[in-house]
Amino acid sequence: MRIAVVPSAPVLLPQYASLTDPVAEMRAAALDAVRWVASEGPVTVLADDLGHRVARHLLGEVGGRATDEPGERVLVVADGSARRGEKAPGHLDERAFGYDAAIGDALRQGDAKALAVLDPELGAQLLVGGVPAFRALGELVVHHGDLRQTAGDLRVRADVDYDADPYGVQYWVVRWQCDS
Amino acid sequence: MTLRLGRREFADDATLMMAIVNRTPDSFYDKGATWAEGKAFDRIARVVEQGAEIVDIGGIKAAPGAEIDVAEEKRRVVDFVAKVRASYPDLVISVDTWRAEVARAVCEAGADVINDAWGGADPGLVDVAAEFGAAIVCTHTGGVTPRTRPHRREYDDVVAAVLSDTVAYAERAVAAGVDRRSVVIDPAHDFGKNTFHSLELTRRLDEMVATGWPVLVSLSNKDFVGETLDLPVGERLTGTLATTAICALAGARIYRVHEVVETRQVVDMVSSIAGRRLPARAIRGLA
Repeated sequence: MRIAVVPSAPVLLPQYASLTDPVAEMRAAALDAVRWVASEGPVTVLADDLGHRVARHLLGEVGGRATDEPGERVLVVADGSARRGEKAPGHLDERAFGYDAAIGDALRQGDAKALAVLDPELGAQLLVGGVPAFRALGELVVHHGDLRQTAGDLRVRADVDYDADPYGVQYWVVRWQCDS
Repeated sequence: MTLRLGRREFADDATLMMAIVNRTPDSFYDKGATWAEGKAFDRIARVVEQGAEIVDIGGIKAAPGAEIDVAEEKRRVVDFVAKVRASYPDLVISVDTWRAEVARAVCEAGADVINDAWGGADPGLVDVAAEFGAAIVCTHTGGVTPRTRPHRREYDDVVAAVLSDTVAYAERAVAAGVDRRSVVIDPAHDFGKNTFHSLELTRRLDEMVATGWPVLVSLSNKDFVGETLDLPVGERLTGTLATTAICALAGARIYRVHEVVETRQVVDMVSSIAGRRLPARAIRGLA
C-alpha cells in the first residue's frame, strides 16, 4: 500500500499562481510524492473539499487520477496548525507546536494509531485543517492491518520529504510504504 | 502576435518600457541633461538597470526650434548608437527620427527600431526599415510638417482619423517589406492634437488596440497632462502615471517614458488588475 501526504494550501491551485512561486520547494516535493503514489493506478483521496481541489490539480499535473473506490494507493491532503507565529493566519497559539509535533512524530514513525486518535476539538481551536483526513488515514491503515490478520501492526516505511511552516502553517510532504 | 524589434522578440502579452534618451541641448523635459555624450551614456546605463527593454535615442527635439540638418542629426546620434550597441549587445535600440537618411545610418550602426514621431513625413523611411529588418513606429500627426505645433486643428472624429492614418501607415510599411511583426502604431498624443484630442484618444485607446497592431504610447510629462492639471513641466508625473494606467488597462504594449521605474510599476499593477499578468508573489490568505 502506498500513501502520500501533501498540504492543503490553496496557493497550490493554478488560479492562485504567482510569477515567483511562494511555495516552490513544498510544491516540488508534493508533486514528487503525488507522482509516486499515482504512478501505478487511480488514487483514493482523503481530504476535505479544499483538499479535493488541491488533489485534483496535483494529480492532473502528474497525469494521475482519483477514484471513489477504496484501494491500495491513497493521497491524503492535510496540514497542521495555522497558528504557529505572530504573522500566522491564526496568529500565535503556543499549543500549536505540541499538537503539530505529535502529528509530525506519527507521520515520521508510521504510527497510524496516533493519527487515528487526534483530538478534533483542540485541532479546530488550533486551525489544524487536516484533522479529519489524518484521522481517516490512521483508521484506514489500522483497519488495513486488521484485515490482513497480521500478527502485529502493518510495517510502515515512512519518508518525510518536506516539513516546515514558512507562513505560519505547518506543512508536511510524506510518503508511506505499508507492507504486511 | 509576437513582437519583433530588430534582434529581440517579445511575447504577445509582454509590456515594454522604452526609455527616452535625448541627444539634444533643448528638449522640453530634461533641458539638455543628456546633451553631453557621457551623460547620455550614463542615462542608458541607469535605465537599463531600471529594467527598460528599449532605449529611444533622439537628436532633435519635437518642438519648433533651431534647424537641425541631416549632418548635425547624424553627428548627434549615429556614433552614439554604435557605442551603445557595442556596450549592450541585447538592448533594443530605437532612434527617434523622421529622416530616411538618418534612419539608414543608425540602422547600419546597430539600431533595431525607427521611431517615426512625424507620421511618415519622409516616405522613404519604410524602405530603410525593410532593408535592415528594423521595426517601425507608425504615428499619427494629421499630416503636419515635422516640428510644428498644432494650430486650430480639428477632427470630425480624432480617433477615427488616428486609426485610419496609423493603420494605413502600418500597411504601407508591410507592403514595403517590413516584417508584419515589426510594425507598431502610436496615436502620438499632442502631435497635431490639442488637449481635448489627447484626452479622447486616451479614453478610447481600446479602439486602437482592437486593430491588432501593437500600440505604443508616448505620454510622459506632455502638455495635455500639464494643461489638464494646470501644472508645469516637472510636476506632471502623477498625471502621466494616471494616463499610463488608463492606456495599460486598454492594452497598450510599449510605453515611451522618462521615468522607467514608476511607469513599470503602474503598468504591472494595471496588467495584473486586468488579468493579463500574475502577481509577483501572492501568499496572503492562501498559505
